[in-house]
Amino acid sequence: MRTYLLLGAMAAVSLQAQVQPQPKTQVFTLPNGLRVLLLEDHEHPLVRARLHLEIEAQDVPAGRQGLPQLALRMFACSDAGSLKAEELERFQEDAGIQLESWAAPGGLDWRLSVRSRDQDRALGLLADRILRSLFDPGMLEEQREACWQEEERRGDDALLRLRQGLNQAPEARPTFASLGAITWEELLGFRARVFRPDRALLVLHGDLGLEQAKRLVLLSLGSWTPQESRSGASTLESPARPQPQPAPAKPWPLWITTEAGAGGRVQAVAPRPAAVLPESAALLDLLVPGEPSLFPARAAAEPGCLVATEDARAGSDPALSRLLARLEAMRLRGFAQADLDRARAAWNAGRSLETLHPEARMDHTLQEALGRGVTPERMKTLSLERLNADLRLWLEPANLRTGGLRKAGSAEGPPVP
Amino acid sequence: MRLLVPFLAATLGLQAQAPRPSEVQERRLANGARLLLVERRGLSAFHAALVFPGGRAEEPAAAAGATDLLARALYGATRPEDLDQGKGQAALEALLKQEEGLLEAVRLERLLLRRDPAAPSQLPALEANLESVQSQLRAQAALSPLGDLYLSRGGRQWAVASSDALTAHVELPQEAFEFWCRTEAQRLRNATLGRFAQARADFAAELRAKGDKGPALLYGAALPGHPYGRDLADHLPALEALRWSELRAHARRVLRPDRLTIILVGGFSMEAALPLLERHLGSLPTPPASETAVLPEIPADLGDRRVQAAAGESARLLMGWRICARSHPDHLALRMAAQLLGGGQSSRLQSRLQRQKGLVTKVALGLDLPGGRLPGLLVADLEPAPGHSLAEVEGALQGEILRLQQDPIPQEEWQRALAQLESEQLRDQDVPGTLADSLGLACAEGGDWRLAELEPQRLRALAPEAVQAAARAWLKPTHRATVLLEPTPGTSLDPLDAELSRVLQALAASRIQDPAQREHLVAEAIRQLRMLNSEERRRTLKLLAAQLPPEKR
Repeated sequence: MRTYLLLGAMAAVSLQAQVQPQPKTQVFTLPNGLRVLLLEDHEHPLVRARLHLEIEAQDVPAGRQGLPQLALRMFACSDAGSLKAEELERFQEDAGIQLESWAAPGGLDWRLSVRSRDQDRALGLLADRILRSLFDPGMLEEQREACWQEEERRGDDALLRLRQGLNQAPEARPTFASLGAITWEELLGFRARVFRPDRALLVLHGDLGLEQAKRLVLLSLGSWTPQESRSGASTLESPARPQPQPAPAKPWPLWITTEAGAGGRVQAVAPRPAAVLPESAALLDLLVPGEPSLFPARAAAEPGCLVATEDARAGSDPALSRLLARLEAMRLRGFAQADLDRARAAWNAGRSLETLHPEARMDHTLQEALGRGVTPERMKTLSLERLNADLRLWLEPANLRTGGLRKAGSAEGPPVP
Repeated sequence: MRLLVPFLAATLGLQAQAPRPSEVQERRLANGARLLLVERRGLSAFHAALVFPGGRAEEPAAAAGATDLLARALYGATRPEDLDQGKGQAALEALLKQEEGLLEAVRLERLLLRRDPAAPSQLPALEANLESVQSQLRAQAALSPLGDLYLSRGGRQWAVASSDALTAHVELPQEAFEFWCRTEAQRLRNATLGRFAQARADFAAELRAKGDKGPALLYGAALPGHPYGRDLADHLPALEALRWSELRAHARRVLRPDRLTIILVGGFSMEAALPLLERHLGSLPTPPASETAVLPEIPADLGDRRVQAAAGESARLLMGWRICARSHPDHLALRMAAQLLGGGQSSRLQSRLQRQKGLVTKVALGLDLPGGRLPGLLVADLEPAPGHSLAEVEGALQGEILRLQQDPIPQEEWQRALAQLESEQLRDQDVPGTLADSLGLACAEGGDWRLAELEPQRLRALAPEAVQAAARAWLKPTHRATVLLEPTPGTSLDPLDAELSRVLQALAASRIQDPAQREHLVAEAIRQLRMLNSEERRRTLKLLAAQLPPEKR
């Protein structure tokens, strides 16, 4: 027994001693204004890059929801420089380069990962996509259609459709009409406004040093300059283009009909308001999902929102009312100091998990650089009053998007397909 | 000296790119559990995976869904009450037994009521009793928002039930390693399954709501009578009748230490980790050996099987070929064949069928579905583009298979597929969670973690002719099963289709009395109209709408 204890104690000491500090973020800026953050990690011959472009509210005109998504699609299918789109893809896959693009609320992201020996080629390819893509007006209709189909997620199940419906604000949700209303000129205008080095942030992670990174980024993205806005370009009329329609005044609750055998379910999604402190958000992400008073509803923290779900076998309207009542009771009651202390300790301990996820580390670095990251200093001073004030703001009834799954043929309320 | 610098730099560069010797260290614990440890000095947290091979494939029909239930009820959360070693545990178990009895009584009473709704019922009383027991169970639970022991230590956990294994993952800060060892050992000792009722209800609801029926239809058609071909949604009554004590007995049978593989990726050495693991997980008793599950074998050349069904919102073609298990010598060649056919944007199906011919809008290719330990399937999943029929897509897919079997594979294409697989492996190695996953999969499917390291090396030694030979041997009509899914009429989300359907329904209503005949006619018309392009369909819609009275337009 003594031997075990001794071995155990030695092992515990040894476990503590072996932890090495993570390398610090190195920052540099190119003459064109592009900010670069480097996270060196030579464990594997692999390099990851994330290029983030900020999108501001005024970049997407009213009634043109889906403009960022359509622009991304146009980038993905366009020829770049002297290379055809297909050649570009082959060139990328020849070296096993993974390049994906995402349109998230507030920004566009390109994520790249490549063996370190092909890093020049990969960054060059990213630069080709961003800087030298030649939009073809002939592709616009096809991409508009594809964009709409992607938005509708044909074939996905009812629960996914519900989540998709609740995740987006009605005023930001691309519709058949808003996508159809986007003109060629507006697309070019968006590209000129948003695709600028001074609005971009590049995070590099992996097997490259500072000097190497500077050389690499300068060679590939150093020639990036803001484009002239082509306001004088001709407008291409698309056939039978519908006019944009205003979003419905009260889109919630959103009901999705399901097959008769499927069980009912109601959901409330609370998008995080901009005024909620990142530190409060990090702690509420830990506290709300485990809150026992929400039972039998279950809550989960998802990127940018809190989601509460409850089964509604006995009827969706009463289930939704019960769910909202529980959320409201928790909102008004708030959390106790002991909860705050426990959550803060859990958050502090959990920071080390970032070392297991290079993408999470890059994400954290990016958020920090954008001024939206959680800092240990601010976390330490977060008060209970502020935490509860942020909870009240976040779960404000007017901020909740509600909806559910209803069986086909249900007598309750009007089902919205 | 000057010459030495570039030479050294080149050598170092080469070393960085060359495949590294295995990072994996293997040991056996006293009770037979296998330990795989990957030491990563830079990490201040660890990823742990417990892999129990067997999975859904080894479930007896009466316990169908047990692996998924264990993933939820045993590994869904880590609550203090589930790990209690004293009197609290006995009290909790007594309550769970009561709950079990009441759940069964409520189920039987509901069945009786379904048969004879007018019969006198004890259901309200039983439900009240059940609610009372369940509220006592809830009262035993930790009543704080951070009651989960891993969450409160900054960690997270999840479990995955597959056809071949149950894998429980945990990520925690390094300081919590001994706590993890102790907790996991206690979890397996107690196997309390305190949230059994909730887990069973959730899982049943998910199965009922499952939208995508295509894969289940394909597995059923391709692997009839085999556990891989089982659709859990067909076993809902058995799942709802599965009792807490039965699931517990099942857990004791399958979650045995001598079948367990522990995979650790973290910033600690074998010397530091092993004593703690031996002390906790290594001390779990090994129950006497039980009978090994005997699984039926399906001949790969069972014959060409076809299923046609209406499901979902868009047409879809699923074609699967019965292939060999992962441990078979041909498997690697089939993996390369899958990569050539559907791996990436420039693969054959993507570039020819989607971009050049515009026949399909979506292409996906999967290998070892639903599992790879036993002979499974290579599946192509394609969605026809508007204006193209399933028959056209099927013909084109067959053409690509024939081309792979007969035409020489260009060197450039071969190298591209190889580079993609190598990069994928590198990415897997870089992230502790995916590394643990690929090692666990190699254990569960191939019986040896070394497969995860050896396969990329063997791929480099593979010849294109071997891939063609494997494609000829396995991707042939007698190994094939095809599922043709037509959209269910009236469910399409395409606004144009929805509008066409509405107008056609209105037109048909005034001419055809029989609703079934009307439904069939509208569905057929919609199917035919999908052959037209969007503009032609819009024009047709206008023409049709013009025939309606103004108030119905």
